[in-house]
Amino acid sequence: MKSLRVLRIVLWALVLVVGAGAAYLFLSARNAPVDAGPAVYATPFTLIDQDGNEVTEADFLGKPSAWFYGFTHCPDVCPTTLSEMSALLEALGPDADRLQAVFVSIDPERDDVATMKDYVEYFDDRIVGLTGSLENVSAMAKARYIFFEKVPLEGGDYTMEHSASVHLADAGGSFFGTLDGEEPFDTRLQKLRRLIE
Amino acid sequence: MKKLLLVIATLVVMPAAIAHDFDAGSIYIDHPMVEEAPPGARVLGGYVSLHNQGAEDDRLVAIESTAAEKVEMHRSVVTDGIARMTPLTEGIELPAGEMVWLGSDGIHAMFIGPDKRYVAGDEIPATLVFEKAGRIDVTFKVEERATTRAPGHGDHAQ
Repeated sequence: MKSLRVLRIVLWALVLVVGAGAAYLFLSARNAPVDAGPAVYATPFTLIDQDGNEVTEADFLGKPSAWFYGFTHCPDVCPTTLSEMSALLEALGPDADRLQAVFVSIDPERDDVATMKDYVEYFDDRIVGLTGSLENVSAMAKARYIFFEKVPLEGGDYTMEHSASVHLADAGGSFFGTLDGEEPFDTRLQKLRRLIE
Repeated sequence: MKKLLLVIATLVVMPAAIAHDFDAGSIYIDHPMVEEAPPGARVLGGYVSLHNQGAEDDRLVAIESTAAEKVEMHRSVVTDGIARMTPLTEGIELPAGEMVWLGSDGIHAMFIGPDKRYVAGDEIPATLVFEKAGRIDVTFKVEERATTRAPGHGDHAQ
């Protein structure tokens, strides 16, 4: 009789364990982003911010982020994207604190730390500006599927071709989506709200 | 009567005084402007609309300015998610009777290596060189950068 009682306790304990496990799996599956891809934004990198500090991927995890890859010798697409980023941060109001906006130079040979500081802070001092060695910038771009290429111009000058959209990453470093310059402002704002919710 | 004439004269003259345009015979040049850039920026984007009111096609072959090392005409395009910039080395075509706006389709003037920092309110002298209409001196006004903000977004911030 005693062994039957022990068996009953053991079985009930098992039911509890399995139930708790199932509940945990169910809840964590519900909370996970629907289409979280591999965490490409958690891939290691080392770059320099606009204040001259060395930063790594760890400095940008734990908070959703919005990344733009451009260069300062760019009269049109890049300044427009950054001023719109500033307008988006303003439209988010206090919620903007839950988002980190980052501008990465894909022309680090010309964009030194001082240039990046002047450039990003002109648009919004909440935007972090990153530059570094060409090798490190290239490694980051490759890991994140960002395209850039130097194109020679007449007279020895050059320009850059580069991915044009803003890339969004969640707090865990998974790719979340993009903001496209052709989309209405409100569409982009809603995407950011969904990212930081 | 004299008063009425004065009013009419004011109405006729005022818009011309406020507007910022240049007439080069067949080419009507409206509102040349440059967007203010961050400090240290080595390039400035220039915009202007050109209306060829003549019967003949013309071409904007060059823009010259003593305020920059050089001025080039470019088109930036975004194709397949990639931003690219092509120099318009042949200039910009101005078909007879049509208006061409540097500012649409990614077409812009690029002032490379400005001689100083230009901020909103400054003016940049330049010469537009047309194949047929010749050389026309204009002034690019430096203006604050416009963003495509949602109307009244400031009121919606929570």
